[in-house]
Amino acid sequence: MLARVAASGVDELWLLGTVPAGYPSPAQDYGAERIDLTRQLIKDPSATFLFRVVGDSMEGAGIYDGDVLLIDRSIEPSSSAVVLASIDGEYTVKRLHRGDGFVELRPENPRYPVIRVDGLSELVIFGVVTYCIHHV
Amino acid sequence: MSRPAVALVDANAFYVSCERLFDPRLEGRPVVVLSNNDGCVVARSAEAKQLGVPMGEPWFKLQATADRHGLIARSSNYELYGDLSVRLMEVIGRYSAWQEVYSIDESFIGLNGGAAAGRAIRDGARRLLGIPVSVGIATSKTLAKLANKHAKAHPAFEGVCDLAEAPPGWLDNYLATHSVVDLWGVAGRTTRRLAGYGIHSMKDLRDADDRQIRRWFSVVLARTVRELRGEHCIPLEGPRATRDQLIYSRSFSTPITDADRMAQVMAVYAQNAAQRLRRHGLVAKTMTAWCSTSWYGAAQDHPSVAVSLPTHTDDPIELVRAATAALPPRLTPDTRYVRAGIVVTDLVPRGSQPYLEPFVPLSERRRLGDTMQAVEDRFGPGTLGLGRAGLRTPPEWAMRRQMLTPHYTTRWEHLPVARAA
Ligand SMILES: [Mg+2]
Repeated sequence: MLARVAASGVDELWLLGTVPAGYPSPAQDYGAERIDLTRQLIKDPSATFLFRVVGDSMEGAGIYDGDVLLIDRSIEPSSSAVVLASIDGEYTVKRLHRGDGFVELRPENPRYPVIRVDGLSELVIFGVVTYCIHHV
Repeated sequence: MSRPAVALVDANAFYVSCERLFDPRLEGRPVVVLSNNDGCVVARSAEAKQLGVPMGEPWFKLQATADRHGLIARSSNYELYGDLSVRLMEVIGRYSAWQEVYSIDESFIGLNGGAAAGRAIRDGARRLLGIPVSVGIATSKTLAKLANKHAKAHPAFEGVCDLAEAPPGWLDNYLATHSVVDLWGVAGRTTRRLAGYGIHSMKDLRDADDRQIRRWFSVVLARTVRELRGEHCIPLEGPRATRDQLIYSRSFSTPITDADRMAQVMAVYAQNAAQRLRRHGLVAKTMTAWCSTSWYGAAQDHPSVAVSLPTHTDDPIELVRAATAALPPRLTPDTRYVRAGIVVTDLVPRGSQPYLEPFVPLSERRRLGDTMQAVEDRFGPGTLGLGRAGLRTPPEWAMRRQMLTPHYTTRWEHLPVARAA
């Protein structure tokens, strides 16, 4: 979806909502189609956005500075989901924790503080992090 | 088979909403988006409207308001808006078997289920894309457009107005108290001529004899009369233009089922768009192309793609290449498409675009070469040369760059930041 494909001199930016899920490709019958990472990793392309990580507060979750996050807005944030939340005008990645009568946004690095609020409604959550692309 | 109601789904201050999605600091603050040719306001947040910022106002006249009220401006980021538009159209399409894209942020859809269905669309667009939309529901496009306007004007509707829920007599009263000038597709000139026949309000027009209107005015206005009576009859056809986009769409006499024929259609539409761009002395950088299946019919599909052109252009070859490369491969086999269209955005006057692009497409070079040759033949060698000198004024361009946000969703180097802090 987000790869820039050079097609006859034109940069195609995004191609969405055009191939109904489950439409059989003629090649599929023979198991010949090459793996399409976009299709494997992105369940809802229209509702999925990519962000670049800056900082080291989520290293315990395997999310490092410079990594790219796939964030799906169609997923309900469950307790313990890694989410992107708006805090003080910035998007911040944290682990969501729903306790009894409170909600916390937890870093996964002991050097950073936990943010606690009374309920989920006090948070502006952009979406749920589904994958992290890390250059090894 | 009775037709479903028609809904107009229209994003609220679409360009501002796109900017806000990636910059939460803009939430709740007055924001405007400026055209990139002359720095005029092309989109206003509700807060900016409340400050009395008029549409089309030049930014330099708003400096005082900006200082006093913290009004924030952004240059238009059409690459971003184009991507979010394609996403929005796709999401809206999930709620309906029938969809006609009307502009970069508006589409008409067939809708069963009234206001509840409208609220589902509003919530879906908000949840999946973070884009607020308003939904107007009625039995014709003209009335859906009015319902949408009403939903936007009155916060109590929370963005969804279904005329079927209006109390008896309400619509009559509404039409009687609103001038025909506010009707979709009725120009000021027509309004003055209508006044000559004693037709002032929308109700006057609705109750006029549509055959006479057809004789005195046009088929188009006669259709509006019938639409006001709740009869759905306006096809979305032909060219349209607004301040910042140029649209060309048509229905086909016979459905198209294969990519080759769709490529031909795209070629014709792209040439039409190129012609209109030239007539207005404009060049475009972004194109959206779409097609859709009919209101009825089993297999429903409304593919839509956006393309960023290599440079600002009005070159038919370049536009045709973009349109034919992008859409046809997206068709679902054995599906009957009955209409298609293209929208070009990021319009700037020819000659005002930055001259030193990384590279210029071949066709553009060829044409430029021909023109240069013609000039030299006529006025002698050395009268015309390539270069940036004198072609534009750098400060203007610098200002535009300053307020331009990254192409967050279309460039790997522009990804928005997720802080891990
Ligand atoms: Mg709008």
